[in-house]
Amino acid sequence: MKLAADRVLGLCLIGLAAFVAVQAARLHVPFSYDPVGPKAFPLILAILLAALSLVLVLKPGSNGHWPDRSLAVKLLAVLAALLVYALLFTRLGFIATSLLTTVALARAFAAPWGKALLTGVLMAVGSYYVFTAGLGISLPSGDWLRPLL
Amino acid sequence: MFDFLIQGFGVALSPLNLGLAFLGALLGTLFGALPGIGPINGIAILMPLAYTLGLPAESALILLAGIYTGAEYGGRMSSILLNVPGDAGAVMTTLDGHPLAKQGLAGPALGLSAVSSFVGATIAILGLTLFAPLLAEVAVMFGPAEFFALMVFAFASMSVMMGKDPIKTAIGAVLGVLIGTVGVDSGTGVLRYTFGMAELYDGIDFVVMIIGLFAISEILLMLEHANRKDSSGDIPPLGRVFVTLKEVLFCKGAMLRSGLIGFIIGVLPGTGASVAGAVSYTTEKRLSDKEGTFGNGDMRGLAAPESANNAAAAGSFVPMLTLGIPGSGTTAVLLGALMLYNITPGPMMFSERPEVAGGLIASLYIGNLVLLALNLPLAGVFARVLTIPRWVLVPGIAILAFVGVYQLHSDLTAIYLMLVIGVFGYLLRKLGFSLAPVILGYVLGGLMEQNLRRALSISGGEVEILWRSGISLGLWIAAAALLVLPWLLPRLVKARLGRA
Repeated sequence: MKLAADRVLGLCLIGLAAFVAVQAARLHVPFSYDPVGPKAFPLILAILLAALSLVLVLKPGSNGHWPDRSLAVKLLAVLAALLVYALLFTRLGFIATSLLTTVALARAFAAPWGKALLTGVLMAVGSYYVFTAGLGISLPSGDWLRPLL
Repeated sequence: MFDFLIQGFGVALSPLNLGLAFLGALLGTLFGALPGIGPINGIAILMPLAYTLGLPAESALILLAGIYTGAEYGGRMSSILLNVPGDAGAVMTTLDGHPLAKQGLAGPALGLSAVSSFVGATIAILGLTLFAPLLAEVAVMFGPAEFFALMVFAFASMSVMMGKDPIKTAIGAVLGVLIGTVGVDSGTGVLRYTFGMAELYDGIDFVVMIIGLFAISEILLMLEHANRKDSSGDIPPLGRVFVTLKEVLFCKGAMLRSGLIGFIIGVLPGTGASVAGAVSYTTEKRLSDKEGTFGNGDMRGLAAPESANNAAAAGSFVPMLTLGIPGSGTTAVLLGALMLYNITPGPMMFSERPEVAGGLIASLYIGNLVLLALNLPLAGVFARVLTIPRWVLVPGIAILAFVGVYQLHSDLTAIYLMLVIGVFGYLLRKLGFSLAPVILGYVLGGLMEQNLRRALSISGGEVEILWRSGISLGLWIAAAALLVLPWLLPRLVKARLGRA
């Protein structure tokens, strides 16, 4: 058997179906008027998912285009930038993290440094005022920035 | 019979709602024109903001519906000017639209597509006004068993019609339904698939789900497109901006027929603008392509899909408003948006919440006029949107996504969950899945389980109740036919040909 993306996916999904089924079977229902209960529906879904995935394993489609190494590195870099954005969002505040993320993302999308920095500053400060003053959304301001504003 | 419409115009003509219809049309066109952002992404990104504004349900829906129809208008920009379809519904528009632009007729092509979109949408909105109340009256007779059968039918029709690979469409829908089962089970209070995480007790939040699935995965996909050098990004000159009456009249047949086709396809649950565009284009080519000009810049080849995809967009409101079954991925998102307001669309909506149903329909009439008025003279302005570089667009989407999710609960867990769902969405798209079934499954799954359990509670556990009534039996047969026929018919034809 050829190793195709669809085969791997199919096997993973069968694993998921088994997991869903086991978890559903282990649900403990203390008391219920409902003849079906919370188990049946996930069990039906698990069976359906396993059956459909089996078709995928037996008859996989074309493999599609997967990113090469340099693109994969870039994708991971973009994901890392978003993750760092989330990690620091409340700690450093909206303006600082948005500035960092915007510059990082703009660089990942091949913007020159100058334009990336300019976009970052305009977007971070501009959107902060639009969201907080214009739309009344409270955003983490980053207390350490307060004296500078 | 049309009381709801009169009341609806009363709602839609209030200054706030009129302003929102205008704003929605404008934002929708802009978002639709942005490369890579179709109606569903546009709504996903802008929906949290609609909540933040604290709008009442009907106003929020008017804004979101305006964005939806506006994005269907905007999607044609990149199809015509750059030969890159802005979204799935605009794929067919490239076939004759881009050749027209290369002949120096980009301006008239944009104008014609605006007029065709207007005609198609008008036909469908009239159809919606006429048929929705009738269908709602039939649907009032639906019990839980009928609704369950209807959802089975909707998923069957979606598997067959949506996307290239029926198996993957079905898997996508099942995954969506499974994601919907996370959280407290409403029937018994038992926790399902929460793994002890308190944040998951209420289930995976709708906003987190759609922003992750559409906005975050889109950022990752854009990175790939940015690295591929397939389009120069140069916009051809627009030429004269207005389309002539003669050109419009030349296409009137194509527009009217395609509008009707688009409406009917839009009404079918699970099939959306992309199917409508394809069917109308091939129909029109068969009917009117006598000189073989289709594909080389025939105006009728542009008018047909443009009329049909806007008609389908409006038509997909019919099942959503009357049965609570969305006709497309985008209406699934709108349905989810309504459910956040504790409104479950369904047959009772016309009688119980006429201001929502009527207000929405009335605002579609208004929005359609606004869109025509905006798009004819301002085509050149909207076309400039295409030149916005990705390195400005992507950080903008990221900031909107983060703020949109953060303002829900001021909680970082939701943001991490959004990123996880984003990666999941990206992988699904790379594996050839379309995301519309996933979101349809996620939105409909809970209702499907509720109706199944309610039906079986009524019958005391007897499964027969699911197909006892004529309506539900008919729906089961229709669903089975949909699943079996595409597989069976070619074989039968082949067998017959083999014998002859």
